[in-house]
Amino acid sequence: MLEQSIQELESSSLARIASARSLEELEVVRVSVLGRKEGALTHMMKELGKLPPEERKSTGKLVNAAKQKLEEALAAREKQFADDTLRARLDTEWIDLTLPAPGPRRGHLHPITQIQQELEDLFVSLGFAVLDGPEAETEYHNFDALNIPATHPARDAQDTFWLEGSNLLLRTHTSPVQVRGMEKLGPPLRIVAPGRVFRNESVDASHEHTFYQIEGMMVDRDVSVAHLLYFMKVMLAGVFQREVSVRLRPGYFPFVEPGFELDIQCLLCGGSGCPVCKQSGWVEQLGCGLVHPNVLRMSGIDPEEWSGFAFGLGLTRLVMMRYGIDDIRHLQGGDLRFLEQF
Amino acid sequence: MKFSYNWIRELVDGLDCAPGALEKLITMKTAECEGIEVSGALLDRACAALVESVEPIPGGHNVKTVVDAGRYGRKTVVCGAPNCRAGIITAYVPIGKKTIQGVESDGMLASAAELDISRDHTGILELDLQIGAPLPGCFPDSVIEIDNKSITHRPDLWGHLGMAREVAALQGRSLKDPVHVGMLPEGPAPIKIEVENLSLCPRYSALVFENVTVKPSPLWLQTRLTAIGLNPINNVVDMTNYIMAELAQPMHAFDANLLRGGTIYVRPARPGERLRALNEEEYTLDPSNLVIADAGGAIALGGVIGGLDSAISGKTTRVVLESANFLASSVRRTSAVLKLRTDASMRFEKAQDPHNTVRGLARAIELLSELSPGIRLVGGVADRKRELPAAPVIPLPLDFVARKLGREVGRIEVRSILERMGFGVAEADAGIFAVTVPSWRATKDVTIKDDLVEEVGRMVGYDSITPQAPLVPSAAPPRNPERRFQHEVRDLFADLGFTEVYNYSFLSEDAVRAFGSDPAEHIRVTNPIASDQALLRTSLLPGVWKNINENLKHREAFRIFEIGLEIHKRGNSLPEEIPHLLAAIYERQGDGAAGLFEIKRAAECLMPGAQLCPAEARAFEHPARAADVLWKGEKAGRLFELHPSLVETGRAAILDVNLQLAQRLAVGEKKYTPIRRYPSSAFDLSVVAGLRDQAGSLESAIRSFAGPLLESIHFLRQYSGPPLPEGSKSVSFRLTVGSPERTLSSDEVAQVRNQIIEGMRGRGYELRV
Repeated sequence: MLEQSIQELESSSLARIASARSLEELEVVRVSVLGRKEGALTHMMKELGKLPPEERKSTGKLVNAAKQKLEEALAAREKQFADDTLRARLDTEWIDLTLPAPGPRRGHLHPITQIQQELEDLFVSLGFAVLDGPEAETEYHNFDALNIPATHPARDAQDTFWLEGSNLLLRTHTSPVQVRGMEKLGPPLRIVAPGRVFRNESVDASHEHTFYQIEGMMVDRDVSVAHLLYFMKVMLAGVFQREVSVRLRPGYFPFVEPGFELDIQCLLCGGSGCPVCKQSGWVEQLGCGLVHPNVLRMSGIDPEEWSGFAFGLGLTRLVMMRYGIDDIRHLQGGDLRFLEQF
Repeated sequence: MKFSYNWIRELVDGLDCAPGALEKLITMKTAECEGIEVSGALLDRACAALVESVEPIPGGHNVKTVVDAGRYGRKTVVCGAPNCRAGIITAYVPIGKKTIQGVESDGMLASAAELDISRDHTGILELDLQIGAPLPGCFPDSVIEIDNKSITHRPDLWGHLGMAREVAALQGRSLKDPVHVGMLPEGPAPIKIEVENLSLCPRYSALVFENVTVKPSPLWLQTRLTAIGLNPINNVVDMTNYIMAELAQPMHAFDANLLRGGTIYVRPARPGERLRALNEEEYTLDPSNLVIADAGGAIALGGVIGGLDSAISGKTTRVVLESANFLASSVRRTSAVLKLRTDASMRFEKAQDPHNTVRGLARAIELLSELSPGIRLVGGVADRKRELPAAPVIPLPLDFVARKLGREVGRIEVRSILERMGFGVAEADAGIFAVTVPSWRATKDVTIKDDLVEEVGRMVGYDSITPQAPLVPSAAPPRNPERRFQHEVRDLFADLGFTEVYNYSFLSEDAVRAFGSDPAEHIRVTNPIASDQALLRTSLLPGVWKNINENLKHREAFRIFEIGLEIHKRGNSLPEEIPHLLAAIYERQGDGAAGLFEIKRAAECLMPGAQLCPAEARAFEHPARAADVLWKGEKAGRLFELHPSLVETGRAAILDVNLQLAQRLAVGEKKYTPIRRYPSSAFDLSVVAGLRDQAGSLESAIRSFAGPLLESIHFLRQYSGPPLPEGSKSVSFRLTVGSPERTLSSDEVAQVRNQIIEGMRGRGYELRV
């Protein structure tokens, strides 16, 4: 008799829990079933004592099971309501994430800075020190110590800005840092020196009086053309992010002997000939050579004991090649419409 | 320097290399070629033609002619040349039919310029040839242009013979020397040469000719000079230019009848001595210029240019022909000082071979006998010279070649390469060659064994060398913290939204003055590109200011920065170069405050703990918005708003930081202090202050009264308005006090608080509690 009422109470209560539409309605159900004073099931539990002992045990089990079941159902339903409430609240917090973030966008580093940092990192990883030298140089460091005395016609190739005062100029190449590097570090050494250089030239789409180079030098025992070639290939593979074919041609720079122009196989046509390489399959890339013994000697290094290579690469030209920039004047024009592209 | 392919082919026996292939060969082995151009493309089709009739075409200056063009037949040609008339023999070129002014014209009658014979385009050629004959000795030519920079060290390559010698060696052919020194006359010289300083003019050779007829050169000679960019003038002058282009030996012809006295002097110019030169300019000279003179004064600038007063003209019948050698540095100096670069000075400044002077004269005898029939030599060669230098001998160890190149080259190969290039090779010791340098390479070009390595290297081909990593110890290179710091600053500012600009190092005087500097305190470029780019920048601001005013045309707001060197004058020593950061925030809208605080935040990111110390504004700064940036007690920079009158519209906040100083200050040991174990107490204080009292000063005053228990103090807010009296504001701070050793009692906290209140009252500030 009691067993039946327990089962009926259980099933009807479960139905009421399921159909409750709010926390309040659920609370009414809970009080009516499990409430300490008026709860129907609570009442039944109190009635248990009146049963004969043999029934008491089994009926007690039933009541407890029903109680547990109903408590679980209530808790689950409660959680459901809480979840629904949270979901509803969070839903009101909808945000349009396609709106732009406040504050400025990230700025842009100058393309020459970017390529220069790449090269610096590359050479540091190869054990080269990065050195700086002054932009306003002495005639000695820019020319004489590089085997270009005042009477040398090679000076004409570098239209020089002279500064008032004694024997000062704006460096026409980064090569004077070779001299400063040798003076500072002594042999053996491996250095690179990126920087701004100046030539007294009228400015047009392909000529600038201010541009950037990176100079490199290695002095050690028995440094050869084969070593130079190795480093040039490593550097250019780093710059272009792929294997490049190179070739050396005779080139004249008074501070190296022998001197070379280094060409790379045209990356656009792969050497078959195109307008960029003027149909030759090769593009002139940099000047290099073995350090002239006079240059070593001038910096106090014995050329019988030490030898080295040096190279100079135009960063401005490299940037223009990499990004297909057709007018060199953009680089120092300060126009954000240009600079923000990098 | 332009090289005629035809000319090289004449000098190299059996050369069968096409012009394109030759250009490539020269590029890979010798010097950089800048390109090939065809000169005189029409010459192989041109022929002599008789103008039979000329009939005017109404409405223009053109005429309709009928010409007898030999193998091409009788042709009707429209011609516009003023000298076109019946009966002359001219040049006809079959270039196809074209209707001009209603007349069908078949081919053209050509001027010398149209055929690339000379630059003369005043009329059609008038020839003395058989009808139908080709123009004798005139052929299309391929002109190879060599980059002058790449032959600066090779005096011999400034003439065709030198290049032909190179080509012959490369191709294994023999060289045909056009000079026959046996033609030089024996006997006493008819003129005297006096050289004052033989180091400035190591050799001066001359010949005298009489019965000279000055007239235009034959077409072949004109064509050849024109092909390589020289202007035909007359037979005598053209002969000198021809020999210069062939043998790299510049020469000069004087009209002997115009020379005063029988002696040619080679001497420094007298101070203020004047010379009217062939280019019709008058030069005032000084003793650093070497002149050629006669008894009456300067007649030429040695190695640079001849004088106008003794120039060859139609009246010339006797010629003194100079073939001399001058000191390279002296010629270069004169040419640079007078800004006068000539074909002669370009060659002499490369240090020419003194053996070559008489070779030039021998060649001249041969050429002049063809160019001026009936010409006669007078006497022998006048030849004043310093003793010619002995051929240098350079010891060349074979293993040196291998060590430098990074590959072995066999003994026999080294020897054969050097001998082909004209070097003498003897095996002095085992593995060591004694290499004798030929005179044309000995002036400056080849002096050390490294120079010989280059000869061997380029001949075996650099493509035969395998790249090889050096066997050197691996070591971390010395650091460059200054540069590293600058890169960090770049990255920081880019992250904060600033875009990097590069500006020139040059400023105008106006820009310098606009930013409150004195042009006299700037380093001046003595030869600026333009007068407004004559000063070196001592501030990056003028450049960035220009960037601001240009970019505001396209942008409402932007942030830019530059890192570059300020170059300051430091007496007579090397200038001081200080890296600076110049950052700017521009906003068209608003009162400028937001930009100033944003850039202040950027400054604090760069220099944590930096403080702004308001300072008197300079003329280009907003008078009420300028401050020094103090970091670790040093003035590391300046923060301000650009004076609004300097910005077209809107506001620009500026930060200028001395990165040399900042880098030094940034290097600091970091030290750990234990995290406090005892709780701290916090309380707020509001100070009533004048409207222009600075929060920063109030904060430091509070700090000074708070004593050692103060952990931190933060600005909370400021307020002005009722109930505060007019002209005052309330500035609130949150203070945290505590001790690393214990928890403070409420009395202790209150004591700190009271200390501050009393202290601030002592300074005249009330506190709102």
